[in-house]
Amino acid sequence: MVESRWFRRAGPAVAALAAVAVIASSTLGAPARTWVPDACSGAPRVGSSATGAWYRLDPFLDAGARVGQRLAVGRAGERGARQLDLDAESFAAGPVGGTILVGTDDGRRSRLSIVDVARACAWAVAESPVVIRTATLAPDGATLFEYRVDRQTRADLGLWQRPLDGSTPPSRVLSPMVADARFGPTWLTDLIWSDDGHALAVESCGEVACRVRVLDPVIGDVQLVSDPDLGDLVGVAGDRLVAHGACRGLPCPLVSVDLSDGSTTVLDHAAGQAVLSRDAEGRSVVIHEVGASGRTLRILSLDGQRTEALDGDPDGRRLVARPARSGGAAEIGPGWILFGPDGRLPVDGAIRPVLRHVPDGRTVPFDEVSR
Amino acid sequence: MITQRRRHRRAASLLLIAAVMAALAGPTTRIAAHSPDPALGGDTFAQDGRLLYDWRSGAAPPAAMRTAINAAAADVGESRASRAATFAYDSNGGNPIGYGTGTCGVNGLACFTRDAPNGFTMWFREQGRVFDWGTLKWCQMYTDPPNGCYDVETIALDELGHVEGLGHHVNYSDDSDYTDAVVQTYSRTKPKEGYNMHVLGVCDIAQLQIRYDIPGASSKYSTCLDVATVMTLSRSAASVVYGGNVTFTATLRVVTDTAYGRLSDNPVSGRAVRLQRRPPGTTTWTNFATMTATSPTGSYVVSARLYSSAEFRAVFSTPTNEGLRGDGSPAVAVTVGSCTTAPCPLSTGR
Repeated sequence: MVESRWFRRAGPAVAALAAVAVIASSTLGAPARTWVPDACSGAPRVGSSATGAWYRLDPFLDAGARVGQRLAVGRAGERGARQLDLDAESFAAGPVGGTILVGTDDGRRSRLSIVDVARACAWAVAESPVVIRTATLAPDGATLFEYRVDRQTRADLGLWQRPLDGSTPPSRVLSPMVADARFGPTWLTDLIWSDDGHALAVESCGEVACRVRVLDPVIGDVQLVSDPDLGDLVGVAGDRLVAHGACRGLPCPLVSVDLSDGSTTVLDHAAGQAVLSRDAEGRSVVIHEVGASGRTLRILSLDGQRTEALDGDPDGRRLVARPARSGGAAEIGPGWILFGPDGRLPVDGAIRPVLRHVPDGRTVPFDEVSR
Repeated sequence: MITQRRRHRRAASLLLIAAVMAALAGPTTRIAAHSPDPALGGDTFAQDGRLLYDWRSGAAPPAAMRTAINAAAADVGESRASRAATFAYDSNGGNPIGYGTGTCGVNGLACFTRDAPNGFTMWFREQGRVFDWGTLKWCQMYTDPPNGCYDVETIALDELGHVEGLGHHVNYSDDSDYTDAVVQTYSRTKPKEGYNMHVLGVCDIAQLQIRYDIPGASSKYSTCLDVATVMTLSRSAASVVYGGNVTFTATLRVVTDTAYGRLSDNPVSGRAVRLQRRPPGTTTWTNFATMTATSPTGSYVVSARLYSSAEFRAVFSTPTNEGLRGDGSPAVAVTVGSCTTAPCPLSTGR
């Protein structure tokens, strides 16, 4: 494995310049560049509070084929969004502490950058000859976890971690997922932090069904959930994992898996989009649309024992689910959920997203609470 | 072919009820291989309803894909063999089909939402989307489609089947029955068998028939079903004079059973129904007459002059070309008086 040590050796200023190049140089075939962030000064820093940073990732098409992706980033309370052009194979993750982790692969190398949304600048943080399919910043902002595949064969190379300060080389923390005919080839790997930030769920999805490895990064414990009836993950909280069933659409069953014994509870047989949040007592709850219409929602305890109705958005906005389902994310406080047109964060348009405070049902414009 | 059909029938016989139970419980319920597609939870659309779709504003599929999606909509209409809803494009359709990121989640190729009986949405991933395994290729986006591409029309047909309320077919472990359903968990790429199916499979149709009914009483039942029938027989008179005329009326219906959904208690017409007879006190039946379909629907009739007492029954033999199970009616007796007017036969055994 050849890893670039250039970033680790170079001083912050050089790395900052490289950050610009990372994003600006990797847009062959993509539309005209819309924004090239300045290089951030100093070492990468991740804030500690929710700032209302958000992003949305969309494919950029030429004659119906993806030739790149366009990443819109912004902050609640700010007019307009900045748009970055990325390669066809690219991703965004976060936001964490006002930053968004961006990865893009130009067919030769994968490069990761951290965009500081408020300061409108970016740090280049990693570069690799193997394909970094996706990555995530640990909640403490100090460690990067990367999922990699081989550039030629697309073989799974496992999950790797590296300290953001470059003090040690990357190391593998999870081996490649073992092939299993019940799931077929892996289409998408996703990295999701548990509600408390102590565990990282590594989700490997086939065409329809998903397996999840729940990793404790500190002690290295791994718990595998391998049930072909399970689809994509809604979230992990405490000893519970909540996932949709292995459906190709919605509505779809919503299932809670007790990680302590592997038992499953069907929370709802026909749920729409779903997210994890917190109730008035600070307990983790799952909130889901009832059916596919999104007109009403339900709040459920993760064991399905407690349930409560919740009004949908009267103006027809839909629950914004995880990035895998919404193509974007916003940094919001605990106990808040987000509604947007078609369940997505709008880049522009008349319908602005709103936030709902789960404990008291209060609804406010996205801009208002995050400022 | 016959062997395969028998195998299908045995499996279907055992598993039809399981499939219907799965319909009630949702797609996480496990069912064994080769029964009708499991049914998704929720309502159905109106029988023979017409669902109009349009292209999502700002996310319309490219022309080649639109053509294939329209073709899939036509495929539903032509191959549904049921009263399932049909699909057609309309610029004001109100059920948007989009192209790009959408809200599919991790699903690979396409996804849908169904809000029966109100409407649906659908998304297709874009050509060139990069997955862990490589780059998505839609066959219709090429003049000469390469191996490894996915057929848009097939995938659209799969998605439209989901919208109707079909879950993923459960195949045999060796997938030998893959082409009995388009609605599959795993999609195949060119050139694997079944990658470009442009009609619904028999096990897709089976569940559509359960949920939406067959088009008419004489329509064929999917061979992925094994639906029990019940035959009854009545006669116009229990006793007649020698040479008297008796009219026999049979009715053929699907057994009343909630597991059959909308097929339950259906009248069955246009089938071959035979009237058989046997002399009293014997056990061997012989064919006596072919009964003719009559009204009301599901009724069959024949009239005959009788010259000896006998027991009669109506028989519907299990057909080889559809998923109905044959039945014979309980026997009915007709007593015929003695011959009193010459010439009389020496024997009235006929």
